[in-house]
Amino acid sequence: MAEAGAKHGDRTARVLVAVMNSERDFAMARDGGWYRIPYESAPSRVGADYLAFYQTRVFEEDRWAVNYYAPVKRYRVLPRRSIIPFEPDHPRADALYYKIEIGPLRRLQHSIPSHRLRRITFIPTTLERLLRAKEINDLWCGSRHEEQLWRAFKNNGIGAERRYPLREEEEDYTIDFALFCKEGKVAICLEGHSPMENVHVVRERGSVDYYDLAAKGWTVLRFSARELARPGSFCLPEVIEAARREGGVLPVPFR
Amino acid sequence: MLLGFPVKVLGQPGLKSHDNRRWQSRPHLSVSLAYLRDIFLYLKRQDIRMYRMAADLAPYVVHPDMPEFHSQIEECTAELAAVGELAIESNLRLSFHLPLTSVLNAQDETIAQQSSQSAVAHGRILEAMGLGPEAVLVTHVGGLYGDRKSALGRFVERFERLPEVVRRRLVLENDDKRFSVPDIQRVHERTGIPLVFDYLHFRNFNPQGLDGAQALDVCLRSWPPGVKPKIHFSSPRTAMRIVQHRASRNRSTSPQLRAPRPTQHADFADPFQFMDFFSKARQVVDQEFDVMLEVKGKDLAVLRLREDLTRFAPNLLGD
Repeated sequence: MAEAGAKHGDRTARVLVAVMNSERDFAMARDGGWYRIPYESAPSRVGADYLAFYQTRVFEEDRWAVNYYAPVKRYRVLPRRSIIPFEPDHPRADALYYKIEIGPLRRLQHSIPSHRLRRITFIPTTLERLLRAKEINDLWCGSRHEEQLWRAFKNNGIGAERRYPLREEEEDYTIDFALFCKEGKVAICLEGHSPMENVHVVRERGSVDYYDLAAKGWTVLRFSARELARPGSFCLPEVIEAARREGGVLPVPFR
Repeated sequence: MLLGFPVKVLGQPGLKSHDNRRWQSRPHLSVSLAYLRDIFLYLKRQDIRMYRMAADLAPYVVHPDMPEFHSQIEECTAELAAVGELAIESNLRLSFHLPLTSVLNAQDETIAQQSSQSAVAHGRILEAMGLGPEAVLVTHVGGLYGDRKSALGRFVERFERLPEVVRRRLVLENDDKRFSVPDIQRVHERTGIPLVFDYLHFRNFNPQGLDGAQALDVCLRSWPPGVKPKIHFSSPRTAMRIVQHRASRNRSTSPQLRAPRPTQHADFADPFQFMDFFSKARQVVDQEFDVMLEVKGKDLAVLRLREDLTRFAPNLLGD
C-alpha cells in the first residue's frame, strides 16, 4: 500500500530504520508481522512508533534503499529459540532478542536510496522525515547547526555523507559529514554542538581521533557551533575550498 | 545525594517517555518499556541515577471503558523484568507520581475506586520490575471538600484498604494549598506512610509557620529504616510570562505580559537557594536523602545544578 502522507498527529511519531538483509527476514516482516534485534547489542534507541527497513543488496530492485515501513504494535523480549523455533541448535538459540511485532508493511511513495556504498545500521528518525526524505542522509535528526550545514550542502550541490561510520582498531566512531573528492576525502567534524543552547550536555558519540583521520588521508575540518551560527559564516566556503584542493567532490554514484 | 528529574528528557531529542499514541492506534506498555530502556541508557551515559517514570507508562491500563488494555502488565512480565534489571544494574532510583486525576480521598466512591486501581497498577509495575523499596509511588492527600478532618480521615481509611503491593510503596507529599506538612504528618502517625517533603509547596503553604529544616526533618524521619528518603525541590519562577489574551468582543488574540506566580516552577533550580536551604537543614537533619528536581529544565537542570554544586558547594553532593 502506498503512503499518501502522515496524518497530522503522526508527524512527530518516532521511526527506527532497521537493516533488512535477507529475503527470509523480509518475508517474516511482511507475512509474519515481526522483526528481531539482539537484546544485548540493540542500538541505544530501540523504542519507536514505526519500523522502516533499509534493504541491502540481496533485494535486487529494492536494494540499497528504504522502501517500506510499518506501525509498531508491541515489543517482546524472548530467547531466539522462541522466535525462530525451527533453528533450535543455532549457537545463539538461548540469547535474548527483541521481537518487534508490526502491522502491515506500507510502501513509501518514493524510495529513500543510499547513493554511496556505506555501512548502514540503525537510524532513529521521525515519520515526517521518513515521508519527506529524498535520500538516506535526509533521515538523520541533527542539531540546529548540523541541519543548517546539511541544507547548505544540498543547496550548493555538495554531495556529502552524514554520520559516516568508521572503524579504527575495534572502535567505532562517526564523522558528521564526509566528502568524497577526486583526489582525497574531507571530514567535517562539528564540535561542541548540543541539542540545547547554553547548556553543556555530554556528547554521546565516541569522539573522533583527528590524527587517525589525517593519517588515513582525510582532510579534517572542525567547526564549532559558534562558527556555524555566525552571519556570513566562512564554514561553507572553507569546505568548498578544501574539496577543490582535493580535486572537487565526486558526483553522487548512480547505483 | 542523588539528583533526579521527572519523565521528559530534554537533553537528547527524540527520547519519548512512553507510548503516547491514542487508543485507536493501540498503544502498549511494551512500546513504553522500549522507550524507557532508551532513556535508561541515556541516564547511564549522563550519570543521572534518579528518575521518575511517566504515570501513563501503561496506557489506558485501568480505563473503565477499555478492558482490552487491562492485561498489559501481565502481558509484559518479561519486558518489565528486563528493563527493571537494567535499572538495577545502573543503580537507578525510580519512582512514579500517581496521576493528578488519582484522588484517593474522593467523596465519590467511583473516583476513589478508580484511583485505587491506578495505584495498584503502578505498584504492580514496580514489583514486576523487581525494584527495591526505594522505588516509591508518590501521591497527595487529595481534595479538601471543606472539611480537613474528614478529608484526612477518608485518606487514612482508603489507604488501609489498599493492597499490600501499594501500601508498601505509597508515600505522601505536602501540597501547595490544601495539605501542609503537619497535615500529612497526622496521616503518617495513623498509617506509617512515609512523607515526601516538597520545598516549593512548603514555601507556598506553611500556615503553621514551621521552620523549613524542621519540616524537612519531620518528613525524613517518617521513612522506614534502611530506605533512603527522597524529597522534591523546585525554585519558583521569577521570569515574566507571555500569555495570549483573547479579546472579549472578537476572536483575535494578543500577547500580554504577566508576572509569575510563586507556585510556578522555574526552568532551572536556583543553586544558591538550594545551597542555603540544605546547608541550614544539615544542622538539623542527620539523614541522607535524594532530591527530585521538579523544574522545567528536567535533565538539563540536573546537569546544571550538579555543575553548580560541584563549583559552589561540593560537600552537599557527597559521593
